[in-house]
Amino acid sequence: MGYPHRPHPKETVVLSQYFGDADARTYAGWVKRGGYAALQRALGMKPGEVVDLVKASGLRGRGGAGFPTGMKWSFMPREKTKPHYLCCNADESEPGTFKDREIMRWTPHALLEGCAIAMHAIQAEVGYIYIRGEFTEPIRIMQAALDEAHREGVLGANALGSGRPLDIWIHRGAGAYICGEETALMNSIEGRRGNPRIRPPFPAQAGVFGLPTTVNNVETLTSVPAIVTQGAEWYQKLSLSNPKSAGTKLFSVCGHVARPGNYEVTMGFPLKDLVYDLAGLRPGRTLKACQPGGSSVPILNREESEACLLDYEGCVAQGTMLGSGGLIVFDDTADMVYQIMRLARFYAHESCAQCTQCREGTGWTVRILERILSGKGAMSDLDLLLDVGEQMTGKTICVLSDSCAVPVVSGIRKFRGEFEAYITGARKPVLAVA
Amino acid sequence: MAESAPQVTLTIEGAPVTVPKGTTILEAAKQAGVLIPHYCYHPGLPVAGVCRMCLVQIEGLPKLQIACATPVAEGQVVNVFQPEAVEARKGVLEFLLINHPLDCPICDQAGECELQDYVFREGRAQTRYTPAFAKRFNPVEDFGPDVLYVPNRCILCTRCVRFMEHAADDAVLNVSERGDRALIGVHPDRQLDHPWAGNVVDLCPVGSLISRDFLHKARAWELDKTASICTGCSQGCNIGIETRQNTVVRLRPRPNDAVNRYFMCDHGRLAYRWMNRGDRIEAPLVRQDGALVAADWDEAVRQAAELLAGAGGDVVVLASPRASTEALFLARAVAGAGFRGAFRVERVAEEHPLPGVHDLALRGERAPNVKGALALGYAERFADQVSELRKGSVALVLDEALDGVAPEALAAVPHLVYVGTVLPDVARGAAVVLPVTTVAEEDGTFVNRDGRVQRYFQARSGPGMARPAWWALGELRAALGRGEPLASCAEAFALLTDEVAGFAGLTYEGLGMHGAVLGAHAPAGASA
Amino acid sequence: MQATGGYQPVFTGDRRARLDEIRARYPTKRAALLPALWIVQEAHGWISDAAMAEVAETLDLTAAYVKGVVTFYTMYHQHPVGRHFIQVCGTTPCNLCGAEGVIHAFLTHTGCRELGATSPDGRFTVVEVECLGACGFATPVLIDDDFIESVTPEGVPGLLQRYP
Repeated sequence: MGYPHRPHPKETVVLSQYFGDADARTYAGWVKRGGYAALQRALGMKPGEVVDLVKASGLRGRGGAGFPTGMKWSFMPREKTKPHYLCCNADESEPGTFKDREIMRWTPHALLEGCAIAMHAIQAEVGYIYIRGEFTEPIRIMQAALDEAHREGVLGANALGSGRPLDIWIHRGAGAYICGEETALMNSIEGRRGNPRIRPPFPAQAGVFGLPTTVNNVETLTSVPAIVTQGAEWYQKLSLSNPKSAGTKLFSVCGHVARPGNYEVTMGFPLKDLVYDLAGLRPGRTLKACQPGGSSVPILNREESEACLLDYEGCVAQGTMLGSGGLIVFDDTADMVYQIMRLARFYAHESCAQCTQCREGTGWTVRILERILSGKGAMSDLDLLLDVGEQMTGKTICVLSDSCAVPVVSGIRKFRGEFEAYITGARKPVLAVA
Repeated sequence: MAESAPQVTLTIEGAPVTVPKGTTILEAAKQAGVLIPHYCYHPGLPVAGVCRMCLVQIEGLPKLQIACATPVAEGQVVNVFQPEAVEARKGVLEFLLINHPLDCPICDQAGECELQDYVFREGRAQTRYTPAFAKRFNPVEDFGPDVLYVPNRCILCTRCVRFMEHAADDAVLNVSERGDRALIGVHPDRQLDHPWAGNVVDLCPVGSLISRDFLHKARAWELDKTASICTGCSQGCNIGIETRQNTVVRLRPRPNDAVNRYFMCDHGRLAYRWMNRGDRIEAPLVRQDGALVAADWDEAVRQAAELLAGAGGDVVVLASPRASTEALFLARAVAGAGFRGAFRVERVAEEHPLPGVHDLALRGERAPNVKGALALGYAERFADQVSELRKGSVALVLDEALDGVAPEALAAVPHLVYVGTVLPDVARGAAVVLPVTTVAEEDGTFVNRDGRVQRYFQARSGPGMARPAWWALGELRAALGRGEPLASCAEAFALLTDEVAGFAGLTYEGLGMHGAVLGAHAPAGASA
Repeated sequence: MQATGGYQPVFTGDRRARLDEIRARYPTKRAALLPALWIVQEAHGWISDAAMAEVAETLDLTAAYVKGVVTFYTMYHQHPVGRHFIQVCGTTPCNLCGAEGVIHAFLTHTGCRELGATSPDGRFTVVEVECLGACGFATPVLIDDDFIESVTPEGVPGLLQRYP
């Protein structure tokens, strides 16, 4: 559950069961809680069988893209002719998202176990956990867990006595949101600038070091052990609405809420309940907007938020996306224009600079929004923002460019009045720009 | 490409195109006569796919695709000028122009600028950025020794970075910073001093990387451009000589997949000033009353022929391996049966390869036509030949500056006929001096180190009464009764292919713009 | 590599051994670059041009290449910073929870006149950073390697006292 709060009765606690329980961090504590039984079982299965199991479970990537995990694993060459690699994406930098951090600092062995099972499934002997540089505490805790795992023979030359070598290393990032994009992550591991790659080739054919690679999110990998021990059917049943979205998801609820934290619910859970009931609004406030999947998904207004079911298809039905599950809540005191500008500044700061549209468009978007907020905007600026957003969408190597445009475009569409207030002068400027 | 490589047929802008499998849409479009606008793509560099300029619409795909990185597929239908693609490219151009300064009036690239070109074709006429926002500003940087970097103009296409990393194998350029703060950078410990670094100026689509040598010298549209061959070494890089009002102002590489691909080295690139020397021999000279006086061509040729006829076949030719193949051939013909020909060439110990291109380097052999001289029977024994001059009757010097040759050595031979561009002091005792044109002022051929015979063309007019050496020697040959005068370089070449076994089978027209390799009959000789 | 006066090589003794151990984890030398740069920053507090040259030589890369990587990643310092480096999150989720007030409090109580500048006594440098991945614990702050959650403007003076 979402440390530091107590589990809410409406939660379905699987991944977060030991959040807040320091004993679960240790190898002994983890084994006491049933840890590494899943890995033991998986090592007794053929790699292809593990892939099929995860396919059948319906697990989808929890980093933001929602790609079926088993299918992703099945893209790896079945016949191994060169080294295969697993990369665990612990770069968690999507604004609004803070779940992988909790998984790593409370249940590091759960992640190691998930990584090891995945490595067996994709026939990799080496795995890298790419942890963002700012996560000093998770890095310390993961490293301690890795050391324990090696000492106890879980990892190393002869993993759990299986005869198979499984080596996992931590690779520390150094401050770049874009390294959460899987091909940029691979470039960063290779010691390069974190630039996303053009595709093809795809990672499963030529990934890190030009070798077959699978990149998976922390939450995705941590979901795997329970599927191994409890079965695909069990996981499939953890869904309130829709068979294409199975299992539980950690929703990082933040922003204008009374009890921010990670809430674990089954797929299809009503967004309304998550916000009003579990996290709760601040006293006396009403909901204005939210972004259910991190800052890169379309903003929902109150009506849409209240109607939204939290799974992949449910979010799409409301015109947004489940994304990372970083649920940012804006109440009636929120200045949507200002916050959208602040988001644009984020994307402009993080753009890798390869694609023309992103490199220049993010900065331009910021400047137009700052102008509006400084009282110097014009109505034509709104059309300009939509036009620039259009040119930033669907035309670049990765979707950072689209992600900058998304909150701007959805913000103008749904909160146009707030923009116009700054333009007409009905609202006083909040920025001073030269 | 092998004939047997599988072919793919697709439709580009309504025209069917058949190309080998694996070809990119951008390259296939060239065949259809369609230039898809692009910046970061270059056929001599690895694909980057970053500028996003070459977006095209492919029927059946929801998103636009970049043509430089998308391979052709059977039955594909590609629309380059479809509205969405045109809008997208217009968008890229607008994004490039928001920070790009309106420097055209002071920018060297104007007139040969790919940003100008595509904006004119597909861009917006009005800005939507200024005056509301100020453009980014960074001061000019000196990457040295010849390259200046104007950061404000940079469009971050990264051609320069990829060239240094992959073609030159010397990654001294980087992309620094992120987002719209990104620029090309260097580390203070290293200048851009790689022997092939000047190519980044050619590669830069805009006026961001510019040549200090060329800075503010001429406008691109004032330049006349002529195909030629570099004379810096025996590699034989294909170049263009660019002149403004008959002065050579720039040399740039010309593509030849078999020799230099798209590149030339800095040694060759920057060595053009000698082509503009003013101290040229401008008239034929004959000896009268102990001094050299100007004469007309007929008189000078008559006197030289008389000397050569009286030599009884005892003629020594001291030639330069910078002379054209035709001139070397005709000098031999003029020397007659007892021809002894020698040359010397500056040999530098170190070669400077461009590792990313097969078999391409600044060669240690610093002259363009060593192989031609050897193929025509000249020997690399200049010093020995000079010391043996006393044994001869006539020395015919062809285009050799005679540096370091002692006057006594030259005085040993009774008669000296000097055929050259500049008259060295040591040759002032010559009986006849014939003024000839340089490589920039005539048509001709050189044979490079790989035996490739390549044509070069006249880029500027020669001074005064100077004529091509093939013409002057052709006149001499005719005056000696050994044939008709030659009216063109093509005739000289035809004669050469008739009479020299190693050149059999070649034709002047057949040399085209990329040359042809000599047959196996060329005599083997020492070569670098 | 030019030996500039006063530059102390990083990769000797223990640090060299650490780097060698790290290199063994990857099939290329280049892949040890980010870890090597962290070692440099731990040793010197920042990464100078001379340090980049040393790293380049150690890993068979060019100094320009290393510099391109250093300037990409915002956590590597390209110039000396205060004894304690303070990173305050300011992205939207934290902004909604008063991050700007926290940033202002840090600037005020450290004596740093502006973001990115070092305080006159050399003790602190304060920067605003993008999402630190602890949005539910607004406002999170990194002081050196200490990740501190739920910082409020009122709590800043007391917090700073822990960093002499």
